Amino acid sequence: MEIPYIVKARKDTGLTNSKIAIWLFLASEVMLFGGFFSAYVFMRIGADYPWPERTLPVLPGLINTFILIASSVTVVFAWAALKLRKWRQFQIFMGATVLCAAIFMCLKAVEYNVKFHHQAVRLNDYSIIEGHLDYKKDKDKNYIKKDGKKIEYNLINIKAESVIFSTVRFHKPWVEQILEQAEEQGSKMVLTEPYQGADGRADAKTTYVEAGTELSLDLLLKIREQHLKARAHNQKLRADALRCAWQIAKDANPGKRGWEISDQVGVDAEKLKPDMLTEMGAISFKIDSAAKLSFKPKNIKEADGQSRLRDDTVIKGKLLESPMKFHHVDAIDFQYLAMKAVQKGIDPMVAIENSWIIQNADFAKEAWEWHCEEVEKLEKELAKQDREPTLKDRYRIGWKEFSKKAEQEGMTDMGDWTILEEFKGPNYAARGEETFPHLAVPRGEIAFASKFVPQWNTYYAIYFTITGLHGLHVIGGALVLGYYLFFGRRMYETNPEWLANRVEVGGLFWHFVDLIWIFAFPIFYLM
Amino acid sequence: MSADAHSHDDHHHDPPFWKKYIFSTDHKMIGLQYGITAMLFLAFGFYLMMVMRWSIAYPHQPLPEWMSFFLTDDWKARWLSDGKLTGETYNMFGAMHGTIMVFLGIVPLGFGAFGNYVTPLQIGAPDMAFPRLNMASYWIYLIGGLIMCASFFMESGAAKSGWTNYSPLAGFADGQIVNQWLAGQTQWLIGLVCLITSSLLGSVNFITTIINLRARGMTWMRMPFFVWSMLVTGFLLLLAFPPLEAAGIMQLMDRVAHSSFFMPTGLFTSQTGLAELSGGGSPLLFQHLFWFLGHPEVYVLLLPAFACVSDVIPVNSRKPLWGYKGMVYMVLVLGFLSFIVWAHHMYMTGMGPVISTFFQTTTVLISVPSVVIITSLLISLWGGSIKFTPPMMWACAFIPMFGIGGLTGLPLAFNLADLHLHDTYYVIGHFHYVVAPGILFGLFAGVLHWYPKITGRYMSSWLNQLHFWPSLICMNVIFAPMLLQGMAGFHRRWYNGGDGYLDKIAGKAGEESANIFANTVAQHIDLNILMSMGAWTLALAQIPFVINLFISWKTGKKVESDNPWNATTLEWATPTPPGHGNFTTEPVVYRGPYEYSRADHDEDYLPQWVEPKNKTAASVSQDKAEPAALEDKSDA
Repeated sequence: MEIPYIVKARKDTGLTNSKIAIWLFLASEVMLFGGFFSAYVFMRIGADYPWPERTLPVLPGLINTFILIASSVTVVFAWAALKLRKWRQFQIFMGATVLCAAIFMCLKAVEYNVKFHHQAVRLNDYSIIEGHLDYKKDKDKNYIKKDGKKIEYNLINIKAESVIFSTVRFHKPWVEQILEQAEEQGSKMVLTEPYQGADGRADAKTTYVEAGTELSLDLLLKIREQHLKARAHNQKLRADALRCAWQIAKDANPGKRGWEISDQVGVDAEKLKPDMLTEMGAISFKIDSAAKLSFKPKNIKEADGQSRLRDDTVIKGKLLESPMKFHHVDAIDFQYLAMKAVQKGIDPMVAIENSWIIQNADFAKEAWEWHCEEVEKLEKELAKQDREPTLKDRYRIGWKEFSKKAEQEGMTDMGDWTILEEFKGPNYAARGEETFPHLAVPRGEIAFASKFVPQWNTYYAIYFTITGLHGLHVIGGALVLGYYLFFGRRMYETNPEWLANRVEVGGLFWHFVDLIWIFAFPIFYLM
Repeated sequence: MSADAHSHDDHHHDPPFWKKYIFSTDHKMIGLQYGITAMLFLAFGFYLMMVMRWSIAYPHQPLPEWMSFFLTDDWKARWLSDGKLTGETYNMFGAMHGTIMVFLGIVPLGFGAFGNYVTPLQIGAPDMAFPRLNMASYWIYLIGGLIMCASFFMESGAAKSGWTNYSPLAGFADGQIVNQWLAGQTQWLIGLVCLITSSLLGSVNFITTIINLRARGMTWMRMPFFVWSMLVTGFLLLLAFPPLEAAGIMQLMDRVAHSSFFMPTGLFTSQTGLAELSGGGSPLLFQHLFWFLGHPEVYVLLLPAFACVSDVIPVNSRKPLWGYKGMVYMVLVLGFLSFIVWAHHMYMTGMGPVISTFFQTTTVLISVPSVVIITSLLISLWGGSIKFTPPMMWACAFIPMFGIGGLTGLPLAFNLADLHLHDTYYVIGHFHYVVAPGILFGLFAGVLHWYPKITGRYMSSWLNQLHFWPSLICMNVIFAPMLLQGMAGFHRRWYNGGDGYLDKIAGKAGEESANIFANTVAQHIDLNILMSMGAWTLALAQIPFVINLFISWKTGKKVESDNPWNATTLEWATPTPPGHGNFTTEPVVYRGPYEYSRADHDEDYLPQWVEPKNKTAASVSQDKAEPAALEDKSDA
């Protein structure tokens, strides 16, 4: 028996199988995105920091909205063409739909890419600085990796005297990185303590690895292997001994319950010692001439004297100056600082005057004074309409303000901003360092730093999650529709109605994807 | 017999082995695959529990050899301390026991296996609406399950933040693993997303099949209660799982992209100090999204058991299901209500009295449909000529066991009582009564009931006795003391069974102490040993079942006909075992599903598919045999 109702609808339900299935599937999708949108509401209501409002460039989002709406129209035309058995027309409209999807994803990729390279940093006083970091230099030129990419220079430097690896946990690439850095500076890293007695018993004088052996990945792996062997051996011994001890204790205390005698039962470590193998849970290396080791901030918990990598490697040594260097600062944001000041009952303006950046960077002080004048003007302007400047107007100096200031002061002649800048952010090369100055922030001032990625705050987290998932839906839908476009010909010739059904179902999904964007666009870009 | 005839047909070549048994698109084979896989996962989950029960009963003693002999020394050295279970390992086992039993065991067994095998047969469909999608559901489920379990053998170990995976604990567990994709806690989430995808595809398939592929004459109110249960289960899976998927994806973002969806500001842990996160997230949001699934999930577990029992009881009491229509409406109400009770799992989060009153009310309300269904099942026995066939024993045990489970849930519905009982062994006892002797017994009834259809042979009644009685006793030995301990205040996550709370000044252990709670613990701690013994005995009691399952396949008593139980529903109209396409002739349905002991009929059962002999008889108007009007035949 064939499965019925694939092409023709069942009389009493009036539906084909796939039509029922797609509506069910969409119901489930509604619940999925419902979960995300309610998360958005939760995040926004519960935010304990100033929620970024109207923070994304509207133009790319707006264009994308129209592109998706257009594609929803063309997909219906494609379906209609198929119903009329006009293959050529179907191809054109379906092609247009898939093309729209591709353009949408390209614009999305540009948007994402800009954010992935845009650095933000929150200082201890809750002021926020945004911009782009310095690239790693190779004799005054940008250092170019083999794959042609520049790498940013944002490292924590330590004058390391010794490094202690966790035997079971060390992360190989990081060991290699440490080795490489030490070698570059001509420092040797040697094992501090010998690994003794490994082949025999702990009290034997055989030495498995001599003290003074130079660090290499092979050495670490060798020690790890021996350590794991010893650990397994010792644990087995101890477990067996404990089992024996319990047997004896039970025999000696008939009728007693386990928990009544448990504190009398234990392993006699001294007695076992001759049979135990030496374990080496941590491997310590001395560095003969203290070398400067550098680590990515996200991998290290730094402290003067003793820092710790995420794989439990301990770096002993003095913390060196490792400021975070902004090649260009393109925004200073005091909204969070102002919020905190109000909570503490301090005048926000005073708090801003006392903030690190105003105290330490002349350009910031200048910009802030200019900004205050601008706000005053705006206040007068808005007062006519019985309105007030928003917190964002008051406390944030964005790249457009910086550009405007430069323009007013005659430093550039670029005008306020160009369409391209709406997409890609400010054009540093053209506007120069006068507009977007250089700044070095001492590491100690930094409370939290991140690119504009999900890590930065819950706004970006939910933005990337919803739009990313929506993007995956666009890709998935485009793949399916593209499949009908490029591989549908055979089915068109044998069973065009079936193909039309499939396109209809695909189109329904496509409308749904469009609908999600219709919700996502205003909540992320406009509100 | 007809299946044999089928295979001799020249037009039907047997597909190759891998296509027939492994990448099969036949709903019956997929159902069996689900069933076997789910039982293996159940066994694994059971093993984890046995180890945990050792730690609870004998926290200071090394695991016995019989429990751990197949583990490598290296693994033991990593996860045990002097051969004893560490708290961390206990958490890992506990989290995975819950996950495996719920997501990888019972749901696939109830919905995946029984739903797949029986539903299309009972509605007279040749297969599921989307056979290849059906295959995909199974494989995605298997992959998800394996991903979750594989993490036991990795550096990080498996997930260890409870089966509920609450943030922020689950957000930073395994944080020391540099590549977060290789952390057990992350793999749990990936596995979960796979499982949700699988059940989403499955539920779409089930609902479509039930709506569109019913045989001619199979009107809604002629569908067996089994099919109704599966329909509601399908909707629960369809609509309740996606919010958890959203939560899972957000937690995945928290782990791999270091976002702060569920991480509050200023989070401080002993491992890493002040977390280097933006903060600003809401741990409560995870709980809401989790329990939005979590409660419907309970009914996803339960309804397939109801379904099996509702088929076994009429067949073996030779009496129509009592109050069939009422049961159908009640299962629909149950499905709806299950979406608005979730926050009764969260009374302890300090929600306001208005919200807790709302959820308290809905929770009490939802007990009504459950009670109506269970009472209908009970009344169905009344005045019947009951035959205690092997499946019937399980079905009869299901009713009181589920009854205990359900009734002990009532105190938990009330905010006031729940504040005392929350997170104690009382809760564990309550839901295990529902799931283990309740749901599992119902599913055992199903296995024994349909086994003759699947294999053409009965399962051994003697081995079944050997399975049934010890299981019934052990289940109560394990779970009844939990209710007592829970009321005394035993916390559900103690890895040492409360030993840490005893007042053990050297040599004075067990004596009356000034520490009142220590005295309470001392009074009840010995129950741990009883329960653990019960659990291990329960494991032994499953051996006859496994033997029965395999031995009877080849040596069981052969069935005398295609309808060995003299049942009325459509699956018994197929050849034994049903071939590809299920029915040899197109099935037509003339009447409701439970026509037993009719006065106007000679035999004590009148199957749905038997054409009425006498159109003028009074039964015709009742039968309303007008299948031809339902569709036009050109489609087929």
